[in-house]
Amino acid sequence: MDPVLIKIALGGVATLGCIGLFFGVGLAMAAQKFHVEPDPKVEEVLHTLAGAQ
Amino acid sequence: MKGMNGLRRYHWMVGILLLALLLTGCKTGHEFIKGTEFKDDDKIVVVFAGPVEETWATNVSNFSAYEKPDPDIKLQITEATLGPDQTTLTVTFGAPLNQGEAHILTMTNIISEGQDMGSVTVTVQKLYFGVLMTVLLGAALIQNFVFTKYLGLCVFFGTSQRRDTAIGMGVVFTIVIVFAAMMAWALYQFVLKPYQLTFLNIVVFIGLVSLSVQGVDTILRKVNPTLFKAFGVYLVLVIANCIAIAVPLMLADNEYNGWESLMLALGAGVGFLLALFLMACVRERLELANVPPSFRGLPIAFVTAGLFALAFLGFSGLSIY
Repeated sequence: MDPVLIKIALGGVATLGCIGLFFGVGLAMAAQKFHVEPDPKVEEVLHTLAGAQ
Repeated sequence: MKGMNGLRRYHWMVGILLLALLLTGCKTGHEFIKGTEFKDDDKIVVVFAGPVEETWATNVSNFSAYEKPDPDIKLQITEATLGPDQTTLTVTFGAPLNQGEAHILTMTNIISEGQDMGSVTVTVQKLYFGVLMTVLLGAALIQNFVFTKYLGLCVFFGTSQRRDTAIGMGVVFTIVIVFAAMMAWALYQFVLKPYQLTFLNIVVFIGLVSLSVQGVDTILRKVNPTLFKAFGVYLVLVIANCIAIAVPLMLADNEYNGWESLMLALGAGVGFLLALFLMACVRERLELANVPPSFRGLPIAFVTAGLFALAFLGFSGLSIY
């Protein structure tokens, strides 16, 4: 196969990997920073309801 | 009242943004040139700070012009005339100018009151603010994504039954699309294009839309729980909206810069909000109308959407700038 194509493909994998890692870490950090304790009562009430809709 | 206070906090940010927008519209030029502008289809008008010699001004060979992207292709100049005040020069070209592009006009050895002022090169372009407004209005009205491009129809029909639902969906969509489009622009211009990875556009842009939906979800949940409760349902639906992927692809195809991308995204969002709101108004009234049984629900909604599309065709001749 053409080495130029292989280079582009590997570069693409590396770049996408970097982008994914960067934003993944960013989202994880945001989730940690903006963490909200879920209210256990809401869960309980939802569980008790029929939940047809 | 609490919401109003929250809005007031961001006023200064909006102010700075508007100021920056206005500043980008300002033109810089040579000190002897007071202003340049397009006139009619095929003319450029140059206003000098002082009177220039008529013999210099009417000699066509003193001028040369080209479109900024193609410096090799010189435009043919047929005539140059000087106004009676001797400061307004009108250069006429052999063919209509593409006024969307910036034009570079070079004037050699300007003679003013017997003095040689040297050669001057000026950039002639439409006021940038006008270009941005054209992109914004184009995306919102003239090329409305729902009514002329038929994109995002599933979400459009799904959330346009009631007016408050429609507004909620439209606002959330606008916020998300602006975030996603700005990130898409930055990634496309600074990562994908330099590394020749533009064939990965769709993959990256879909990821970015999901990312901004997740990001807005996470942040809104903490920062403004009331707003989150009102809009949270529609956030997830934004991912299923094809306008969200069309906007990044369009700004990549058209090579828009940052401001133009922002305007395109804003226009797409506002256009979608407008479409949803109009549709919801009609559908609320349709509930009360006597619709034939086979047309009730979605069929009559599609007919209505078609009528709206026809009405939006009327915007196709709109040009303010």
